[in-house]
Amino acid sequence: MKFGYASWLPETNMMRKFTEELANGRLMGTKCKKCKTKYMPPRIQCRCGSTDMEWYEAPKKGKLLAYTIIMYPPESMQKYAPYIVAVAELEDGTRLLSHIVGVTPKTLKVGMPIEVSISKVSEDRITYKFKPST
Amino acid sequence: MAKKVAVVGIGHSKFGKRPDVTIRELAHEAVFPALEDAGLSAQDIDAVVVGVAGDEFAAQGSCAAVINDYIGMQGKPLYRVEAACATGSAAVRTAWALINSGLAETVLVVGAETMTHVGTPRATELMAKAGDTRWEYPFGVTFPAFYALMATAHMHQYGTTREQLSMVSVKNHKYGAMNPYAHLRKEITLEEAMKSVMICYPLNLYDCCLISDGAAAAVLASEEKAKKLTDTPVWIIGLGAASDNMMIAERESLTSLKATRLAAEQAYKMARIKPEEIDVAVVHDCFTIAEIMAYEDLGFCKKGEGGKFIEEGQSYIGGKIPVNIDGGLKSKGHPLGATGVSMTVEITRQLRGEAGKRQVEGAEIGLSHNIGETGQYCFVHIYKR
Repeated sequence: MKFGYASWLPETNMMRKFTEELANGRLMGTKCKKCKTKYMPPRIQCRCGSTDMEWYEAPKKGKLLAYTIIMYPPESMQKYAPYIVAVAELEDGTRLLSHIVGVTPKTLKVGMPIEVSISKVSEDRITYKFKPST
Repeated sequence: MAKKVAVVGIGHSKFGKRPDVTIRELAHEAVFPALEDAGLSAQDIDAVVVGVAGDEFAAQGSCAAVINDYIGMQGKPLYRVEAACATGSAAVRTAWALINSGLAETVLVVGAETMTHVGTPRATELMAKAGDTRWEYPFGVTFPAFYALMATAHMHQYGTTREQLSMVSVKNHKYGAMNPYAHLRKEITLEEAMKSVMICYPLNLYDCCLISDGAAAAVLASEEKAKKLTDTPVWIIGLGAASDNMMIAERESLTSLKATRLAAEQAYKMARIKPEEIDVAVVHDCFTIAEIMAYEDLGFCKKGEGGKFIEEGQSYIGGKIPVNIDGGLKSKGHPLGATGVSMTVEITRQLRGEAGKRQVEGAEIGLSHNIGETGQYCFVHIYKR
């Protein structure tokens, strides 16, 4: 399973684990065992230099920090346009960028509560996205 | 104490759609006027620093070597510098460091880019790939979209309006129309700016800079050389540089660029001046929100008051600090590698009193601010006549 709407980087072990967990409904980040820094999205090496990392399940609820409605996408994203890209802060303070669905330009507001939902983009592609939360 | 380094020669090609030339000829158009301005010939140059952001735009690898050969500098030490949209300022900083270290006395800096030859969709794709291709590009985040995210956050936090964004565009077009080297020499009204086609909310067409071809060049020299060469050296008295997180979601703020704040602090400290002493500035207005954030992060106004700063006309000639009175990236154009060098050219012109209708009377201290990508690089230079 590949990640997101378009990508070309190799499917590393980390990405295979990440998308496999996504397919099972879990949004997973990594945490450094040495300095305790959390990474969402995940990394396999820490900025402190440590490679001693563990996976953790990230919270799916959070709030919207910023958004934009993209009318002119890059070539590879033409068929999805227009789409809304947003940055959200999850309940544990980590931040994520993704699309937001289930909103209109009128209902879209910075600060609104959101939750992360997981869905397939196509047969071989999976992604996380935001939707409004109650 | 750092040795003194001055700008002693400047040259600038016409920015715009230039199907008539490739990157080598464009560079030539800027280099020889700069050498002539400095009163030098090729053999007087100790080293060449070339700034080109992306070989893919030019469809030519090792652009620096091609340019160096074409301008007749074979045999000189040659450096290629790259820092995305801040490439040109990184090149100027490199030249400064070469002279300051004693490795060279006289350095030629060339910034050049051809961007229109690949077509707009391809150029958009190439620029989008400058985002994180693992975690950002998979969501189709375009270059303007990164700044649009900052814009909605800024609007929410400080009440900045779309109208204020458009006012930046109106100002830069007004001055760009007076600049013979600018790409789009056309004044626009606030209504035209507001009503132009939406690219990614809240940024519409007139909030976005142009995709342009262009080149700019500068000759930098040591104090001893500069004093022999010219009566009007423009001294680089302060420099600052900084970087930031790759992914914008991870940054501590979405309404301010940390790299600008850090670089500005270093530059002001080195120059021993305060922001209010700046007489004229060129800042990185790749998108109108970027200019508003630059006012704030450079200390031209308080945080959150950038919208008010443009609304009150404080960045026009006659205001507190005239900003981008060469048209900025918005109207002059933004050929990536050329932009930073073009900023040095404009400030030098202003401090020499050679800017014609756009001249800030009596300008003594100038500042240039150049961002790479969406704040992953920042360079601030301060100049004095």
